[in-house]
Amino acid sequence: MKCAPFRVELPSTVDEVVAALVEHGEDAKILAGGQSLIPMLAMRLARFDVLIDVHHVDGLASIQLDQNTIRIGSRVRQSEIERSDVIKRHLPVLAEATALIGHFQIRNRGTIGGSLVHADPAAEYPAVALALGATFEVTGPAGTRVIPAADFFLGYWTTALTDDEVLVAIHFPIPEGKRVGMTVKEVARRHGDFALAGAVASIGLDPSGAIVETAIALFSAADQPLRLTEMEAALTGHSPDSLDIPALSAAAAAGLAPGDDLHGSADFRRHLFRHLIADVAAEAITRAQEATNV
Amino acid sequence: MSEDVEVRLTVNGDGYRVRVEPRKTLVDALREDCNLTGTHIGCEHGVCGACTVLVDDRAVRSCLMFAYQAEGTSIRTIEGLADADGTLHPVQAAFREAHGLQCGFCTPGFVMSIVALLDENGAPTPQEVREGLSGNLCRCTGYQTILEAVDIAAATLRATSLEATR
Amino acid sequence: MSATTSPPAGATPRYIGQAVARKEDPRLLTGQGEYVDDLSLQGMLHVAFARSPHASALIRSIDASAAKELEGVRAVLTGADLNGDAHEMKSSYEVLIGSVGPVLEPLASARVKYVGDPVVMVIAESRAIAEDAIELLEIEYDPQTPVIGYETSLANETLVHPEMKTNLASVLTSEPDPALDRAFANAVHIVQETIRQHRYINVPMETRGLIASWHSGRGEMTFYSATQLPNEFRTFTTRLLAIPENKIRVIARDVGGGFGQKAFVGREEAAVLLAAKRIGRPLKWIEDRWENLVSANHAREELVHVRIAFDADYRITAVFCDHEEDIGALPASGTSLTTGQMVGMMFPGPYKIPHAGYSTKMIWTNTCGRLPYRGPWMMETVAREIMIDIAARRLGIDALELRRRNTITEADMPYTSATGMSYDRLSIDRTLEKVAAGIDFEAFRIEQGEARAAGRLIGIGLSHLVEPTAAAGGSFGIEVANIRMQPSGYVDVYVGTGNHGQGTETTMAQIVADTLGIEYEKVFVHDGDTDMVPFGGGSGASRTAVLAGAACHAAGAELRGKIVQLAAHYLEAAPEDLEINSGKISVRGTPTHFLEMTEVAFKAYNDSPSLPPGMSPGLEATARHAADGITFANATHACIVEVDPKTYRVKVLRYLVSSDCGVVINPAVVEGQIAGGVIQGIGGVLFEHFAYDENGNPLTTTFMDYLLPTAADVPTIEYAHLETPAKGPGGYKGVGEGGAIASPPAIVNAVADALGMDLPSQPLSPSLLFAMVNRAPTS
Repeated sequence: MKCAPFRVELPSTVDEVVAALVEHGEDAKILAGGQSLIPMLAMRLARFDVLIDVHHVDGLASIQLDQNTIRIGSRVRQSEIERSDVIKRHLPVLAEATALIGHFQIRNRGTIGGSLVHADPAAEYPAVALALGATFEVTGPAGTRVIPAADFFLGYWTTALTDDEVLVAIHFPIPEGKRVGMTVKEVARRHGDFALAGAVASIGLDPSGAIVETAIALFSAADQPLRLTEMEAALTGHSPDSLDIPALSAAAAAGLAPGDDLHGSADFRRHLFRHLIADVAAEAITRAQEATNV
Repeated sequence: MSEDVEVRLTVNGDGYRVRVEPRKTLVDALREDCNLTGTHIGCEHGVCGACTVLVDDRAVRSCLMFAYQAEGTSIRTIEGLADADGTLHPVQAAFREAHGLQCGFCTPGFVMSIVALLDENGAPTPQEVREGLSGNLCRCTGYQTILEAVDIAAATLRATSLEATR
Repeated sequence: MSATTSPPAGATPRYIGQAVARKEDPRLLTGQGEYVDDLSLQGMLHVAFARSPHASALIRSIDASAAKELEGVRAVLTGADLNGDAHEMKSSYEVLIGSVGPVLEPLASARVKYVGDPVVMVIAESRAIAEDAIELLEIEYDPQTPVIGYETSLANETLVHPEMKTNLASVLTSEPDPALDRAFANAVHIVQETIRQHRYINVPMETRGLIASWHSGRGEMTFYSATQLPNEFRTFTTRLLAIPENKIRVIARDVGGGFGQKAFVGREEAAVLLAAKRIGRPLKWIEDRWENLVSANHAREELVHVRIAFDADYRITAVFCDHEEDIGALPASGTSLTTGQMVGMMFPGPYKIPHAGYSTKMIWTNTCGRLPYRGPWMMETVAREIMIDIAARRLGIDALELRRRNTITEADMPYTSATGMSYDRLSIDRTLEKVAAGIDFEAFRIEQGEARAAGRLIGIGLSHLVEPTAAAGGSFGIEVANIRMQPSGYVDVYVGTGNHGQGTETTMAQIVADTLGIEYEKVFVHDGDTDMVPFGGGSGASRTAVLAGAACHAAGAELRGKIVQLAAHYLEAAPEDLEINSGKISVRGTPTHFLEMTEVAFKAYNDSPSLPPGMSPGLEATARHAADGITFANATHACIVEVDPKTYRVKVLRYLVSSDCGVVINPAVVEGQIAGGVIQGIGGVLFEHFAYDENGNPLTTTFMDYLLPTAADVPTIEYAHLETPAKGPGGYKGVGEGGAIASPPAIVNAVADALGMDLPSQPLSPSLLFAMVNRAPTS
């Protein structure tokens, strides 16, 4: 189980990364934390002539707090997100989601950008990015563009990135000063495994306690992270007490067409989602109700 | 074939200058080029944890990192834990006391993970210990005595650090 | 040689029974172990195998030209190149019992029979280059319809091995017994069900591997191997290479677990040996994890159609065990005939059953071959214990009470089962009562009722077994110890075991230290090198304590006798008046008048004129111990589980084992064996499943899909030991396999109890459990 041979390029700027991507096209792959890529290379399920290792690229490894946004460099390691005081304070759900990724040894190498670009439909970060309305700062030969999360994930391991583009950073809006509750839950075979089913919820309340904004995203529910727009609409504008969340969750789960494999049949995954959706919605509401203005 | 690259590794404080293919993983370089065979290969796809080493004090899978990527880092392996006079590290000593190993193949990976875990959290709850160890697989012990060893080591390390602060 | 029980006369046991620290640990804890992959030889080349992507196919052609041209490739060998070098590929056990299957060949030559079947061997300067070369091979296959699924295989006209004319590898049936038939005819209740278990596998953390080095000048083959059975590997190689055993040296230094997988020479290992002889350079093959999962042989895919007859008092009057097992295409040599019979013969287990019959069928399919995995016959306990709970549920009697009513008691000893198994010195009823009390059955039933009312699903499960340890098949029936007290007074012990985690260096040293009356620190145990140790059976089949322990007792007693005789001569005392304490030999009652054992040892080698007339110089003794039948042990397991109705994950809340393995040499080692086995069984039921699709493609080829239990998934095991000494030397019984045998049905029974339904098949993964619950009529 040894990787096929490859060459390594070690660019030090984003422009050099783009130049290398332009030069090598499909024969090249960006190596960030490598925690998904290296096993695929070792099993020879993937092979590239060139790996563009972004560990020496300036500016990809910082977490910055602006007024209403946290900007996370694509090469920030998952363990740094887990430990970051800024994230724990302003976006704790991201730290919670990070703790669900693999094991701590994996998170010590794995990066947020690598996970998002890998776009595994069972991964936590894509669904969190989708639920939280993150935007993706992407640089290519034509310069930098911003892709909303809703447009970023296109299918199994497929994103809107073109072959010559690199993800530079992810911007998460933060609900500063609002009564917003967020949570993430998943069910996996074992601690640290990819989720059989997972859900993220972000729910905002107005001063009267009515729901004014709702985002619920699922992972392991389809070929990409999925927003539950119908259920979100059913929640928004209502007081939580007036809602039958279990029934709404059951209806939402019944409409899903998740994968069917050895570890989880589609029926079983729908069963899991029924409970998970209800649980994250209820908990997000509770957290929003408990949220004090910061 | 891709060109070999020269890599300088610092392992347990010793410098090594090795020539490796870019595709060579850190664990292969440690074992083959540094002759440090205490770090074991159990799966080569990042699940079993047998190859766990510390890179700049953080536990990582050395099968999921290329040797060239360790240039400039400080690596610690199982061979670097005991004192020069042979005194076992508290985690090693706890394994011995608790019979935390049988065949011993997974042991170096467990020991390195536990060193990192206890370094970060000197008084983990039982649940934190179990989840913290869930990235290392053992087929012999059923984990019973490994969990005991963590408790013993944590107590020793706490006592040692208390003594040091006096 | 007289059978003695521990402690030997005149000595106070200081080490037997103590959890002394292991001798193995200082090296293993510091990264100084020497597993086969840690070793390198000058000029060594590396091996990788190209393997079949088809479950069944004819090999049309192999074009290796591009692979051979790759820089760094030294040789590419096909079956046509290599297989002719193999003289005979049979385990000694197959030689003993006769062949049961097709002739094994190192590399598939004309037909591949499972996904992973080795086809081409590449030898290169590095493993990576060998894998590069494999990608350059052009192998043309003509895919055939595979035979998948042993339950339909016998009706299938397609054959796994066309030359065998059938997919039925073997069938064995107990003698017709009219009394058995009458018992069923007269039964008040008959409960029948088919109990199935699924394929799950050994998975040692160290994969298989070897380094083979041929010395043409001496005509000698030396190989370093991850093996449980060094001497068997040597005799196998004698037949394979047709060279004398004397020219073969097998060395196993540290071995990273086996659980049966490393007790047989694999076809790949045979290919490496043949190629090393042909090429003349040392060859290393270290199996990678994918290879280990798809090709290192499999286990446990089997069923039993169980029938149990009861009288009006729910006493079992007869059982019939109709067993079928999937042995894949190419099971390990010689192993798959007698194990099925063991399933039938052990089926009555811990219960008083007047009449029993069995039938067993071993069936070929186009999947990876079978090999023994920790308690290879364990389907008897799985099927019986699950069935006892099913019967209890159907008959409306408590599962504990049903077991109590039928359990063999101490008063019944010695007891011969209906299948002819002779039990003696067992505590079957006492382990049952120990766990019943320890887990507090009555209190649990109350707690369970309250939990159900609160919407929680908790359940309790029992499992009860008699474990055949140190079963005397072939060379597994013998073991050897050669003990030498050196002139320094330090002692070397040479045993034929193959320590791969059992702590043999420690436990045998405890026995010898006590037997000789010297310090544990002065005893060094050696195994795993055929140039060093006499012929012995190796490590497996729960045999080390029983057989190597007995040999150590016997050789130790003989050596002690000589030491005492010699000391008596020097002290001018009668040997029977002497005692040994901590290396000092003195006349009983006058401890100040003593000889250091070191002085005696020195004189034995360096002062032969001073020896008594007729005594040979030196201090050495060898004993070979032959098993006196099977040494039975017994245990009862109980566990409490909770099923999460949202996730269908099963959490084991409590797990209690009462095991009686006779005299305990080292409690930490014993508990380690039990715990490791229990967790493998829990893993097997709840997590592990080696699955194939309907075309024979393996689905669980990485550790991301073949799920081993982790520290976060296991209960804390509680123990309640009993020690009923066995009849044999030292009083030891085996303990290596019982944990893995008894835990699967305990877990299944607890989950079934939690859900209030029968669970006759496994695994109990959340998804499958969900399906079973939602398919079953609500209870």
